[in-house]
Amino acid sequence: MNNKQFLTELSGKCHLSPEQAAEQVQTLIGVMESVWNNGDSVSLSGFGVLEVKKKNERVSVNPVTGVRMLVPPKLVLTYKPSSLLKDKLK
Amino acid sequence: MNSKINLSQLADLFAQISGLSKTASEQFVKAFFDIISQGVLAEGLVKVKGLGTFKLLQMEDRESVNVNTGERFTIEGHQKISFTPDAELKERINKPFAVFETVEITAEQAEKIGDDIETGYSEEPQSDNSEISDYTSEQTDNEPKIKDITQKRSTRVLLKLITWVLSLILLIGLVMYILWPIIGCKLLTMFDDKIAEKAQVTTIVETKSSLTSSSVTPEQSQNIEKPLMETEPIVNKNPESVVKEQEPEPAVKDISDQVVQQQFNLNREDMAKSVSLFTEADTVNYRITGKLAVHTVQNGETLAKISFMYYGTKKLWPYIAKYNKMSSFNNMGAGSVINIPKLAAK
Repeated sequence: MNNKQFLTELSGKCHLSPEQAAEQVQTLIGVMESVWNNGDSVSLSGFGVLEVKKKNERVSVNPVTGVRMLVPPKLVLTYKPSSLLKDKLK
Repeated sequence: MNSKINLSQLADLFAQISGLSKTASEQFVKAFFDIISQGVLAEGLVKVKGLGTFKLLQMEDRESVNVNTGERFTIEGHQKISFTPDAELKERINKPFAVFETVEITAEQAEKIGDDIETGYSEEPQSDNSEISDYTSEQTDNEPKIKDITQKRSTRVLLKLITWVLSLILLIGLVMYILWPIIGCKLLTMFDDKIAEKAQVTTIVETKSSLTSSSVTPEQSQNIEKPLMETEPIVNKNPESVVKEQEPEPAVKDISDQVVQQQFNLNREDMAKSVSLFTEADTVNYRITGKLAVHTVQNGETLAKISFMYYGTKKLWPYIAKYNKMSSFNNMGAGSVINIPKLAAK
Protein backbone atom coordinates (compact mmCIF):
# COMPACT_ATOMS: atom_id res chain seq x y z
CA MET A 1 0.00 0.00 0.00
CA ASN A 2 1.64 3.20 -1.08
CA ASN A 3 0.92 6.70 0.12
CA LYS A 4 -1.77 7.35 -2.48
CA GLN A 5 -3.73 4.23 -1.64
CA PHE A 6 -3.38 5.01 2.00
CA LEU A 7 -4.76 8.51 1.53
CA THR A 8 -7.71 7.39 -0.54
CA GLU A 9 -8.67 4.84 2.09
CA LEU A 10 -8.30 7.37 4.89
CA SER A 11 -10.34 9.97 3.01
CA GLY A 12 -13.09 7.38 2.41
CA LYS A 13 -13.26 6.55 6.09
CA CYS A 14 -13.27 10.12 7.37
CA HIS A 15 -15.39 11.67 4.63
CA LEU A 16 -12.62 13.97 3.46
CA SER A 17 -11.19 14.69 0.05
CA PRO A 18 -7.81 13.03 -0.59
CA GLU A 19 -6.14 16.45 -0.62
CA GLN A 20 -7.62 17.34 2.73
CA ALA A 21 -6.64 13.95 4.07
CA ALA A 22 -3.05 14.47 2.94
CA GLU A 23 -3.01 17.84 4.69
CA GLN A 24 -4.41 16.39 7.90
CA VAL A 25 -1.92 13.54 7.83
CA GLN A 26 0.91 16.03 7.67
CA THR A 27 -0.53 18.02 10.60
CA LEU A 28 -0.94 14.81 12.59
CA ILE A 29 2.66 13.89 11.92
CA GLY A 30 3.64 17.41 12.96
CA VAL A 31 1.74 16.99 16.21
CA MET A 32 3.40 13.65 16.88
CA GLU A 33 6.77 15.21 16.16
CA SER A 34 6.18 17.88 18.77
CA VAL A 35 5.24 15.09 21.18
CA TRP A 36 8.50 13.30 20.43
CA ASN A 37 10.42 16.53 20.77
CA ASN A 38 9.00 16.86 24.28
CA GLY A 39 10.47 13.48 25.02
CA ASP A 40 7.13 11.74 25.10
CA SER A 41 6.10 8.65 23.23
CA VAL A 42 2.95 8.03 21.26
CA SER A 43 1.21 4.93 22.52
CA LEU A 44 -1.89 3.64 20.82
CA SER A 45 -3.79 0.57 21.94
CA GLY A 46 -4.09 -1.98 19.19
CA PHE A 47 -1.32 -0.38 17.17
CA GLY A 48 1.81 0.02 19.22
CA VAL A 49 4.25 2.58 20.52
CA LEU A 50 6.10 5.12 18.45
CA GLU A 51 8.91 6.68 20.40
CA VAL A 52 12.28 8.32 19.99
CA LYS A 53 15.21 6.38 21.42
CA LYS A 54 18.76 7.41 21.90
CA LYS A 55 21.29 5.07 20.38
CA ASN A 56 24.59 5.21 22.18
CA GLU A 57 27.82 6.10 20.49
CA ARG A 58 29.76 3.04 19.42
CA VAL A 59 32.93 1.94 17.74
CA SER A 60 32.45 0.12 14.49
CA VAL A 61 35.16 -1.60 12.49
CA ASN A 62 35.20 -1.88 8.75
CA PRO A 63 35.77 -5.62 8.29
CA VAL A 64 37.51 -5.10 4.96
CA THR A 65 39.96 -2.32 5.80
CA GLY A 66 40.01 -2.73 9.57
CA VAL A 67 39.49 1.00 10.01
CA ARG A 68 37.84 1.85 13.30
CA MET A 69 35.10 4.42 13.27
CA LEU A 70 33.51 6.17 16.17
CA VAL A 71 29.86 6.33 15.31
CA PRO A 72 28.23 9.22 17.16
CA PRO A 73 25.11 8.82 19.28
CA LYS A 74 21.82 9.47 17.56
CA LEU A 75 18.14 9.77 18.13
CA VAL A 76 16.03 7.31 16.21
CA LEU A 77 12.29 6.99 15.89
CA THR A 78 11.34 3.46 16.76
CA TYR A 79 8.13 1.53 16.51
CA LYS A 80 7.13 -1.33 18.72
CA PRO A 81 3.96 -3.11 17.67
CA SER A 82 1.44 -3.88 20.37
CA SER A 83 0.89 -7.44 21.48
CA LEU A 84 -2.62 -7.28 20.05
CA LEU A 85 -1.25 -6.60 16.60
CA LYS A 86 1.41 -9.28 17.04
CA ASP A 87 -1.22 -11.83 17.95
CA LYS A 88 -3.06 -11.04 14.76
CA LEU A 89 0.05 -11.98 12.78
CA LYS A 90 -0.02 -15.58 13.98
CA MET B 1 8.69 14.24 29.67
CA ASN B 2 8.84 10.50 29.23
CA SER B 3 5.12 10.17 29.47
CA LYS B 4 2.95 8.17 27.15
CA ILE B 5 0.53 10.08 25.01
CA ASN B 6 -2.51 7.95 24.29
CA LEU B 7 -5.10 8.24 21.58
CA SER B 8 -7.37 10.78 23.26
CA GLN B 9 -4.47 13.04 24.28
CA LEU B 10 -3.06 12.89 20.78
CA ALA B 11 -6.50 13.65 19.35
CA ASP B 12 -6.82 16.66 21.68
CA LEU B 13 -3.48 18.05 20.53
CA PHE B 14 -4.38 17.34 16.94
CA ALA B 15 -7.75 19.07 17.31
CA GLN B 16 -6.09 22.24 18.60
CA ILE B 17 -3.90 22.56 15.52
CA SER B 18 -6.09 21.18 12.76
CA GLY B 19 -9.23 23.02 13.85
CA LEU B 20 -11.34 19.88 13.64
CA SER B 21 -13.84 18.94 16.30
CA LYS B 22 -12.66 16.62 19.06
CA THR B 23 -14.74 13.70 17.90
CA ALA B 24 -13.72 14.21 14.28
CA SER B 25 -10.03 14.45 15.15
CA GLU B 26 -10.26 11.37 17.37
CA GLN B 27 -11.96 9.54 14.57
CA PHE B 28 -9.29 10.67 12.16
CA VAL B 29 -6.38 9.63 14.35
CA LYS B 30 -8.01 6.28 15.03
CA ALA B 31 -8.63 5.73 11.34
CA PHE B 32 -5.05 6.74 10.56
CA PHE B 33 -3.52 4.05 12.73
CA ASP B 34 -6.18 1.45 11.98
CA ILE B 35 -5.51 1.73 8.28
CA ILE B 36 -1.80 1.35 8.87
CA SER B 37 -2.17 -1.79 10.97
CA GLN B 38 -4.77 -3.28 8.65
CA GLY B 39 -2.71 -2.41 5.62
CA VAL B 40 0.37 -4.06 7.07
CA LEU B 41 -1.58 -7.20 7.93
CA ALA B 42 -3.32 -7.31 4.57
CA GLU B 43 -0.67 -6.18 2.14
CA GLY B 44 2.52 -6.38 4.15
CA LEU B 45 3.59 -2.86 3.31
CA VAL B 46 2.28 0.62 4.11
CA LYS B 47 4.02 3.78 3.06
CA VAL B 48 3.02 7.02 4.69
CA LYS B 49 4.64 10.10 3.29
CA GLY B 50 6.29 12.16 6.01
CA LEU B 51 6.23 9.32 8.55
CA GLY B 52 7.85 6.27 7.06
CA THR B 53 7.30 2.72 5.96
CA PHE B 54 5.70 -0.12 7.88
CA LYS B 55 6.66 -3.48 6.55
CA LEU B 56 5.86 -7.07 7.32
CA LEU B 57 9.02 -9.20 7.46
CA GLN B 58 9.14 -12.97 7.29
CA MET B 59 11.67 -14.30 9.77
CA GLU B 60 13.19 -17.68 8.98
CA ASP B 61 13.63 -20.50 11.48
CA ARG B 62 16.85 -20.10 13.41
CA GLU B 63 18.73 -22.02 16.00
CA SER B 64 19.50 -20.43 19.32
CA VAL B 65 21.06 -21.47 22.61
CA ASN B 66 19.46 -21.22 26.00
CA VAL B 67 21.87 -19.03 27.91
CA ASN B 68 21.22 -20.75 31.25
CA THR B 69 21.20 -24.40 30.25
CA GLY B 70 23.24 -24.27 27.06
CA GLU B 71 20.57 -26.22 25.27
CA ARG B 72 19.99 -25.63 21.62
CA PHE B 73 16.53 -24.89 20.41
CA THR B 74 15.00 -23.48 17.27
CA ILE B 75 13.15 -20.22 17.13
CA GLU B 76 10.38 -20.92 14.68
CA GLY B 77 9.91 -18.62 11.76
CA HIS B 78 7.48 -15.81 12.34
CA GLN B 79 6.37 -12.52 10.94
CA LYS B 80 7.52 -9.22 12.30
CA ILE B 81 6.48 -5.64 11.66
CA SER B 82 9.37 -3.33 10.95
CA PHE B 83 9.27 0.43 10.74
CA THR B 84 11.67 2.61 8.79
CA PRO B 85 11.22 6.31 9.41
CA ASP B 86 11.10 8.71 6.51
CA ALA B 87 14.54 10.17 5.74
CA GLU B 88 13.41 13.75 6.35
CA LEU B 89 11.68 12.86 9.59
CA LYS B 90 14.73 10.90 10.69
CA GLU B 91 16.92 13.93 10.14
CA ARG B 92 14.56 16.24 11.98
CA ILE B 93 14.38 13.92 14.97
CA ASN B 94 18.13 13.53 15.10
CA LYS B 95 18.62 17.29 14.90
CA PRO B 96 20.00 17.66 18.47
CA PHE B 97 22.78 15.20 17.59
CA ALA B 98 23.22 16.28 13.97
CA VAL B 99 26.47 18.10 14.75
CA PHE B 100 28.30 14.83 15.42
CA GLU B 101 30.00 13.04 12.61
CA THR B 102 31.51 9.63 12.29
CA VAL B 103 35.24 9.90 12.83
CA GLU B 104 38.15 7.54 12.26
CA ILE B 105 40.01 6.58 15.39
CA THR B 106 43.05 4.51 16.32
CA ALA B 107 42.86 1.18 18.09
CA GLU B 108 44.11 2.63 21.42
CA GLN B 109 41.54 5.37 21.40
CA ALA B 110 38.91 2.84 20.44
CA GLU B 111 39.75 0.75 23.48
CA LYS B 112 39.55 3.69 25.79
CA ILE B 113 36.32 4.96 24.31
CA GLY B 114 34.96 1.43 24.34
CA ASP B 115 35.56 1.32 28.11
CA ASP B 116 33.90 4.69 28.48
CA ILE B 117 30.90 3.52 26.56
CA GLU B 118 30.60 0.37 28.60
CA THR B 119 30.77 2.13 31.94
CA GLY B 120 28.54 4.88 30.71
CA TYR B 121 26.05 2.35 29.45
CA SER B 122 25.79 0.53 32.74
CA GLU B 123 25.39 3.75 34.66
CA GLU B 124 22.87 5.36 32.38
CA PRO B 125 19.24 4.55 32.93
CA GLN B 126 17.17 3.39 30.00
CA SER B 127 15.36 6.71 29.83
CA ASP B 128 15.75 8.52 26.57
CA ASN B 129 15.72 12.22 26.22
CA SER B 130 17.31 13.09 29.52
CA GLU B 131 20.37 11.69 27.81
CA ILE B 132 20.55 14.67 25.51
CA SER B 133 21.67 16.72 28.48
CA ASP B 134 23.84 13.80 29.55
CA TYR B 135 25.63 13.98 26.30
CA THR B 136 26.37 17.67 26.64
CA SER B 137 28.01 16.89 29.95
CA GLU B 138 29.87 14.09 28.22
CA GLN B 139 31.26 16.63 25.84
CA THR B 140 32.86 18.53 28.70
CA ASP B 141 34.30 15.23 29.88
CA ASN B 142 36.23 15.08 26.65
CA GLU B 143 38.94 17.42 27.99
CA PRO B 144 40.60 14.92 30.32
CA LYS B 145 40.26 12.40 27.53
CA ILE B 146 42.26 14.67 25.26
CA LYS B 147 44.87 15.05 28.01
CA ASP B 148 45.16 11.30 28.25
CA ILE B 149 45.57 11.08 24.52
CA THR B 150 48.38 13.65 24.50
CA GLN B 151 50.08 11.78 27.33
CA LYS B 152 49.83 8.58 25.37
CA ARG B 153 51.24 10.37 22.39
CA SER B 154 54.31 11.52 24.32
CA THR B 155 54.97 8.00 25.58
CA ARG B 156 54.59 6.76 22.04
CA VAL B 157 57.16 9.28 20.86
CA LEU B 158 59.54 8.10 23.60
CA LEU B 159 59.04 4.50 22.55
CA LYS B 160 59.74 5.43 18.95
CA LEU B 161 62.97 7.14 20.00
CA ILE B 162 64.11 4.09 21.93
CA THR B 163 63.37 1.74 19.06
CA TRP B 164 65.19 4.10 16.72
CA VAL B 165 68.31 4.10 18.87
CA LEU B 166 68.19 0.33 19.22
CA SER B 167 67.90 -0.14 15.49
CA LEU B 168 70.86 2.21 15.00
CA ILE B 169 73.01 0.13 17.34
CA LEU B 170 71.91 -3.00 15.52
CA LEU B 171 72.82 -1.41 12.20
CA ILE B 172 76.30 -0.50 13.42
CA GLY B 173 76.73 -4.05 14.65
CA LEU B 174 75.72 -5.38 11.28
CA VAL B 175 78.12 -3.09 9.45
CA MET B 176 80.93 -4.17 11.77
CA TYR B 177 80.04 -7.79 11.11
CA ILE B 178 80.19 -7.24 7.37
CA LEU B 179 83.45 -5.32 7.47
CA TRP B 180 85.02 -7.69 10.02
CA PRO B 181 86.99 -9.75 7.48
CA ILE B 182 88.80 -6.60 6.31
CA ILE B 183 89.36 -5.05 9.72
CA GLY B 184 90.12 -8.45 11.21
CA CYS B 185 92.77 -9.14 8.59
CA LYS B 186 94.57 -5.91 9.36
CA LEU B 187 94.46 -6.62 13.07
CA LEU B 188 95.71 -10.15 12.47
CA THR B 189 98.63 -8.95 10.34
CA MET B 190 99.59 -6.53 13.09
CA PHE B 191 99.29 -9.35 15.59
CA ASP B 192 101.41 -11.61 13.40
CA ASP B 193 104.10 -8.92 13.09
CA LYS B 194 104.37 -8.67 16.82
CA ILE B 195 104.56 -12.43 17.22
CA ALA B 196 107.26 -12.64 14.59
CA GLU B 197 109.33 -9.95 16.27
CA LYS B 198 108.97 -11.58 19.65
CA ALA B 199 109.91 -14.95 18.24
CA GLN B 200 113.04 -13.53 16.67
CA VAL B 201 114.05 -11.76 19.84
CA THR B 202 113.59 -14.90 21.89
CA THR B 203 115.58 -17.06 19.50
CA ILE B 204 118.39 -14.54 19.48
CA VAL B 205 118.37 -14.32 23.25
CA GLU B 206 118.43 -18.07 23.50
CA THR B 207 121.37 -18.41 21.20
CA LYS B 208 123.08 -15.61 23.06
CA SER B 209 122.58 -17.29 26.39
CA SER B 210 123.83 -20.58 25.00
CA LEU B 211 126.88 -18.81 23.73
CA THR B 212 127.59 -17.08 27.03
CA SER B 213 127.16 -20.29 28.94
CA SER B 214 129.58 -22.16 26.72
CA SER B 215 132.94 -20.77 27.95
CA VAL B 216 132.86 -17.52 26.07
CA THR B 217 134.70 -14.61 27.64
CA PRO B 218 132.71 -11.59 28.67
CA GLU B 219 134.53 -9.55 26.04
CA GLN B 220 133.49 -11.96 23.40
CA SER B 221 129.96 -12.04 24.56
CA GLN B 222 129.93 -8.28 24.49
CA ASN B 223 131.23 -8.38 21.00
CA ILE B 224 128.67 -10.90 20.09
CA GLU B 225 126.01 -8.72 21.43
CA LYS B 226 126.99 -5.93 19.15
CA PRO B 227 126.48 -7.67 15.86
CA LEU B 228 123.39 -9.24 17.25
CA MET B 229 121.99 -5.85 17.96
CA GLU B 230 122.89 -4.91 14.46
CA THR B 231 121.36 -7.97 12.95
CA GLU B 232 118.14 -7.69 14.79
CA PRO B 233 116.62 -4.97 12.69
CA ILE B 234 118.16 -6.23 9.48
CA VAL B 235 117.44 -9.90 9.85
CA ASN B 236 114.10 -9.55 8.26
CA LYS B 237 115.41 -8.03 5.07
CA ASN B 238 117.92 -10.38 3.60
CA PRO B 239 120.12 -12.77 5.42
CA GLU B 240 122.94 -12.50 2.88
CA SER B 241 123.30 -8.77 3.32
CA VAL B 242 123.50 -9.36 7.05
CA VAL B 243 126.31 -11.79 6.50
CA LYS B 244 128.14 -9.25 4.40
CA GLU B 245 127.81 -6.62 7.05
CA GLN B 246 129.21 -9.03 9.59
CA GLU B 247 132.43 -9.57 7.66
CA PRO B 248 134.27 -6.38 8.67
CA GLU B 249 134.38 -7.66 12.27
CA PRO B 250 136.74 -10.59 12.22
CA ALA B 251 137.12 -10.80 16.03
CA VAL B 252 133.72 -12.19 16.60
CA LYS B 253 133.28 -13.52 13.13
CA ASP B 254 133.08 -17.16 14.09
CA ILE B 255 130.46 -16.76 16.73
CA SER B 256 128.45 -14.14 14.93
CA ASP B 257 128.65 -16.26 11.82
CA GLN B 258 127.18 -19.05 13.78
CA VAL B 259 124.36 -16.89 14.97
CA VAL B 260 123.75 -15.47 11.57
CA GLN B 261 124.00 -18.92 10.09
CA GLN B 262 121.31 -20.07 12.46
CA GLN B 263 119.23 -17.13 11.53
CA PHE B 264 119.91 -17.73 7.88
CA ASN B 265 119.02 -21.38 8.16
CA LEU B 266 115.80 -20.49 9.83
CA ASN B 267 115.03 -18.05 7.08
CA ARG B 268 115.92 -20.54 4.43
CA GLU B 269 113.62 -23.12 5.93
CA ASP B 270 110.87 -20.61 5.92
CA MET B 271 111.69 -19.71 2.37
CA ALA B 272 111.28 -23.32 1.46
CA LYS B 273 107.78 -23.16 2.78
CA SER B 274 107.47 -19.95 0.85
CA VAL B 275 106.87 -17.85 3.91
CA SER B 276 106.30 -18.46 7.57
CA LEU B 277 105.90 -16.69 10.85
CA PHE B 278 109.61 -15.93 11.15
CA THR B 279 109.89 -14.06 7.96
CA GLU B 280 108.54 -10.62 7.76
CA ALA B 281 106.00 -11.45 5.16
CA ASP B 282 106.07 -8.09 3.55
CA THR B 283 103.44 -8.08 0.92
CA VAL B 284 105.60 -6.27 -1.63
CA ASN B 285 108.61 -8.57 -1.41
CA TYR B 286 107.18 -11.30 -3.54
CA ARG B 287 106.24 -11.72 -7.10
CA ILE B 288 103.81 -14.12 -8.64
CA THR B 289 105.56 -16.76 -10.69
CA GLY B 290 102.76 -19.09 -11.57
CA LYS B 291 99.81 -21.08 -10.41
CA LEU B 292 100.24 -23.10 -7.24
CA ALA B 293 96.79 -24.58 -6.88
CA VAL B 294 93.14 -24.18 -7.61
CA HIS B 295 91.00 -23.71 -4.52
CA THR B 296 87.27 -24.06 -4.09
CA VAL B 297 86.09 -21.70 -1.40
CA GLN B 298 84.28 -23.36 1.50
CA ASN B 299 81.64 -21.77 3.62
CA GLY B 300 83.14 -19.41 6.18
CA GLU B 301 86.52 -19.15 4.48
CA THR B 302 88.23 -15.82 4.05
CA LEU B 303 91.16 -14.87 1.88
CA ALA B 304 93.27 -14.62 5.01
CA LYS B 305 92.37 -18.20 5.98
CA ILE B 306 93.16 -19.47 2.50
CA SER B 307 96.45 -17.59 2.57
CA PHE B 308 97.28 -19.24 5.88
CA MET B 309 96.38 -22.62 4.42
CA TYR B 310 98.76 -22.33 1.45
CA TYR B 311 101.54 -20.04 2.65
CA GLY B 312 101.41 -20.52 6.40
CA THR B 313 100.64 -16.86 6.99
CA LYS B 314 97.53 -14.81 6.73
CA LYS B 315 99.40 -11.80 5.44
CA LEU B 316 99.79 -12.87 1.87
CA TRP B 317 96.12 -12.79 1.01
CA PRO B 318 96.49 -9.66 -1.15
CA TYR B 319 98.45 -11.74 -3.65
CA ILE B 320 95.54 -14.13 -3.99
CA ALA B 321 93.21 -11.21 -4.42
CA LYS B 322 95.52 -9.69 -7.01
CA TYR B 323 96.01 -12.96 -8.87
CA ASN B 324 92.28 -13.51 -9.15
CA LYS B 325 91.65 -9.85 -10.03
CA MET B 326 89.23 -9.41 -7.21
CA SER B 327 87.79 -5.96 -6.97
CA SER B 328 85.72 -6.60 -3.90
CA PHE B 329 85.83 -9.53 -1.53
CA ASN B 330 82.08 -9.86 -1.52
CA ASN B 331 82.07 -11.76 -4.78
CA MET B 332 83.93 -14.62 -3.14
CA GLY B 333 81.01 -16.73 -2.02
CA ALA B 334 81.12 -20.35 -0.89
CA GLY B 335 81.74 -22.63 -3.82
CA SER B 336 83.51 -20.09 -6.00
CA VAL B 337 86.79 -21.28 -7.47
CA ILE B 338 89.95 -19.20 -7.07
CA ASN B 339 93.51 -19.69 -8.22
CA ILE B 340 96.32 -19.70 -5.72
CA PRO B 341 99.47 -18.05 -7.07
CA LYS B 342 102.98 -19.38 -6.62
CA LEU B 343 105.11 -16.80 -4.88
CA ALA B 344 108.81 -16.16 -5.12
CA ALA B 345 110.84 -13.65 -3.19
CA LYS B 346 112.09 -10.68 -5.13
